[in-house]
Amino acid sequence: MDVQFFIDVFPKILEGLTLTLSLFLWTLLFSTFLGLVLALMRLSPIPPLRWVSAVYGWLLRGIPLLLLLFYVFFALPEFGDFFILSPFRSAVLGLTLWTASYQSEAIRSGIISVEKGQYEASEALGMSRAHQMRKIILPQSVRIIAPPFTGNAINALKQTSLATVITVAEMTGITRGIISSTFQTVEPLFALALVYLALTTVLVFAQSGLERVFRLKT
Amino acid sequence: MSDFDFDIIRRSWPLMREATWVSVQVFAWSLVLASFIGLLFALMRLSNVRALRWIAGIYVWIFRGLPALVILFFAFFWVGRVLDLTSFQAAILGLGVSSGAYKAEIIRAGILAVDNGQREASDALAMTRAQSMRRIILPQGIRVMIPNYVSNSTLLFKSTSLATVIGLNELTGKSRQLANSTFKPIEILTAAGVIYLVLTSVLVGAQVLLERRYSVKA
Repeated sequence: MDVQFFIDVFPKILEGLTLTLSLFLWTLLFSTFLGLVLALMRLSPIPPLRWVSAVYGWLLRGIPLLLLLFYVFFALPEFGDFFILSPFRSAVLGLTLWTASYQSEAIRSGIISVEKGQYEASEALGMSRAHQMRKIILPQSVRIIAPPFTGNAINALKQTSLATVITVAEMTGITRGIISSTFQTVEPLFALALVYLALTTVLVFAQSGLERVFRLKT
Repeated sequence: MSDFDFDIIRRSWPLMREATWVSVQVFAWSLVLASFIGLLFALMRLSNVRALRWIAGIYVWIFRGLPALVILFFAFFWVGRVLDLTSFQAAILGLGVSSGAYKAEIIRAGILAVDNGQREASDALAMTRAQSMRRIILPQGIRVMIPNYVSNSTLLFKSTSLATVIGLNELTGKSRQLANSTFKPIEILTAAGVIYLVLTSVLVGAQVLLERRYSVKA
């Protein structure tokens, strides 16, 4: 292994870090919102809302993310010029749609794990369903939602690497470029792996920190 | 948008069927490899020997911390070049090694979930550690492992799509090529999505059957 090349290659790969992180953060933001909406729909008393959310989850969890990215990037524009998105936006859209289907399950299982007495008590206090969800149920379910939620977020970070396939020049894309132009594979791959490992390790620490914050004090 | 062209799907079907078979084969072999690695590292993680525990811990940390795509690059560009692997073999290696890290955690959790009294009882019957693991602990732990094990395998099946990036003609990559050459991305990619949905639904069905088979009879 060429140590000098290994060191030289770092700054080049880190040029893609901003793009990787912005893919991740936009995906996290949008998928949390969409996941919450889908979870509430799934638990709604209105059957069509429940069905739409269930079918969404079945569809999105049944296909590979890569296929979804291809769909967004290559097939969606056929539906009209409005859907012609930049590679970056296509990637955020695909990652969001996919991650939201997992986040909705995490949020839903957190909500249904809140004890029934809490619902009954807030009803007895004359709270509306929205009020009850916002003030009583969601705050308690956050504790249970946190572990799977952060697990999905860590997955989303790793999956931003797929954006390279629809030509987004994030870290993995830059590394592929270096490999094909220099024919050196080991050094760039190890450098890339180190950066990802650092990022995911930070997130894992954040995860256990969050879990500590939300733990019940006895 | 032009009308949905079923004829193009009919004409592309032979190629897509072939590619589906490649995906299924990669899935089956990497599942075997991942299960083997998972069991091995789960047992190492629970071993009395500190060095084994460390090695297993580091393995899980590294391979869960890296995107599967990056692991595939390692398997193809590095190990694959040294050992002269085809992209089919490199895909099995990369996906197996990556999924094995998750399987190790799932199997470990299953083993830990078995009541301690079972271990004490098999000790009292003078069973060796290996005997008690094989005859007493694992058969009971399987019940706890099944849901996570199968849903992780469903993820593995979807991850086979990543192998297109190292040049394997599996379903997602083939569909993208066909979408390009026929100028019918909507039809081709939708057809690919349906194939994935059918196959992942089969896996989910298998999960339900397995859970029923291994559930405790009251």
